[in-house]
Amino acid sequence: MRRLLLSAFAVAICSLSGSAAFQPAGPVERWHEIAWPFPRDGWPAGRAFHCAGERCGDDVELYVRPKAGFCNCDGGVADDDEVDRVTDLDLMSERFVALEPGKAIRFAGMPGRLRDYDLRMSDGSRHAAVGMAVSRRCDLLVAVAHGAGAVSGIQRVALDFLASSDMARWMISAMDGR
Amino acid sequence: MTGQIKLATYFGISLIIGCGSTYAQQQVIGAPPEASNMRLVGANDLQARSAYQPTIHHQGDRWIAYIGHHGGTDDIPAPLNPLTGKAEPNGTSIVDVTDPAQPKYLRHIPGQEGKYEAGGAQMVRVCDGKALPKGDRNAVYMLRSFGSEAHEIWNVADPANPVLVTRIGDLKDTHKSWWECDTGIAFLVSGAPDWRTRRMTQVYDLSDPAHPVKIRDFGLPGQEPGSTGAVPTELHGPISTGPQGNRVYFGYGTNKGGFLQIVDREKLINGPKEPTPDNLRFPEIARMAMSAFNGAHTTFPMKQMPIAEFAHDKDGQTRDIVMIVDEAILNECSEPRQMVWFADVTVENRPMMISSFTVPESSGSFCERGGRFGSHSSNESMAPVYYEKMAFIAFFNAGVRALDIRDPYHPTEVGYFIPPITAATDKRCVTIDGKDRCKVAIQTNNVETDERGYIYIVDRANTGLHILELTGAARAVAGLPR
Repeated sequence: MRRLLLSAFAVAICSLSGSAAFQPAGPVERWHEIAWPFPRDGWPAGRAFHCAGERCGDDVELYVRPKAGFCNCDGGVADDDEVDRVTDLDLMSERFVALEPGKAIRFAGMPGRLRDYDLRMSDGSRHAAVGMAVSRRCDLLVAVAHGAGAVSGIQRVALDFLASSDMARWMISAMDGR
Repeated sequence: MTGQIKLATYFGISLIIGCGSTYAQQQVIGAPPEASNMRLVGANDLQARSAYQPTIHHQGDRWIAYIGHHGGTDDIPAPLNPLTGKAEPNGTSIVDVTDPAQPKYLRHIPGQEGKYEAGGAQMVRVCDGKALPKGDRNAVYMLRSFGSEAHEIWNVADPANPVLVTRIGDLKDTHKSWWECDTGIAFLVSGAPDWRTRRMTQVYDLSDPAHPVKIRDFGLPGQEPGSTGAVPTELHGPISTGPQGNRVYFGYGTNKGGFLQIVDREKLINGPKEPTPDNLRFPEIARMAMSAFNGAHTTFPMKQMPIAEFAHDKDGQTRDIVMIVDEAILNECSEPRQMVWFADVTVENRPMMISSFTVPESSGSFCERGGRFGSHSSNESMAPVYYEKMAFIAFFNAGVRALDIRDPYHPTEVGYFIPPITAATDKRCVTIDGKDRCKVAIQTNNVETDERGYIYIVDRANTGLHILELTGAARAVAGLPR
């Protein structure tokens, strides 16, 4: 009985743990949590993930975190300038150029915007990146995905991943300060 | 005692102690104010409107307080104006404070519809027409923001019957502007639609308020139209020392990643105006980055302050100081502490923080009281009564704090006043386990002083205006008679 309880507890912990692999949306896509790779800034560190596999192209990394109090409480993420301003693109490189006008998105029940970028990394290489920002009242949740592959693919796998039930649950929990 | 009884007793005692420590400091209606060396002289409820900037103007033989407001609340989007009998969106309150013990509410000018920061008319500055180079000598001009979409100038020569003079519109945000009364130059915090930031500077010549002349747009490189890459943090507000001081001190960031930017006023006004990165850098003398934890709400300059400790030094006996006040944003201490900083900017291209001030949290269990705890703003009057001697800091649920700043290397608190809450004081909430948990606490948002030495504090949570005076040892710091 005791062994059974311990096993159930271990399963529960693993299912909550960030180190657990997330169930892929497609057949050959695997996300794994990695350490937050950036130095401390104005907001607490968020969660970082790495995706390898066919659907992710070579490699895709995604960073997601709440930014409490950083949003226009009434307007939300109103325009593309807001996406340029609030997403964490500048943690990777201050040199980025939007590829086209953004579009409205919603994840974890929160509305916002998404925009694609060309990101010039410090080693001179170019990455495609997708900046996403959604809001609830005065708080933001921002996510950035980037990789060496095509931006359309990065956008697709990132949105699929963020739409997973595990991530949606965590994002809501993080916005609640838990 | 059995183990179970011991356990129950332990939990019972813990619960009582826990509840006691959590709620012991919660404010209650009808309680006396908490105060030290400050005394209440008079009060006005400001029609229970959430208040931002107060400006006190000596107008003929009267003293008039002009007070900006945020938008209304979810519960009351447009409070009742008893003078008109109508529900009006929050705008500007005009109060006769000639007798500070009996402030008289004269007029409410409605602002932009909208709740909280999305509406109202937060900012107010006032200049006499006779001081402005091309103003109507009989006029008194009030510059105010109109919600996020415009700036307006009203003639308030008859403060009970203001008349709209002009409007500068089509903006996406506005905030804490500065207006030089002797030149008419205004540094308007605006959101030009094509800029990549919500708030930047539009420099205007308002020497003839009826005919505003735009001089230029200004901001940090990366914010200008057409730029790419990272967007520097947005402007909060500037303070100019006018043509004599020839400096404008800009505060960027509110509670995060702040900057103090020191700008050559002459180069800003008369330099190349096209908003290119080079032209935006041209008037900048220095930029001092703050911690990512803190922002710059108010950047208040105090030039050539004699420092007693340095009196016998052969150089550096006086120092140019900028007091930088952060703004707390989140309720119940959900962010790094926002406080007050003093920067020595004597060597302008090497500004350096030299000291700081915060209210000890444990002195009032302020993180548990509800609402915001931390600084928001300082008085901005440069009248001799307090200038370079005392500063007053609005500290949200810790009320107003009076600082002795004669030695800015060692600022010292010499008084405070925390008004009691009233039935009008609005709640402040945090989310716990997905649900709102709300408390009611004073939220002293802004403070200003007049030449007579009265201190005016206003409340963000709808508690109104309190007019204070110093008592005891604090009066001696300012050189006021006992």
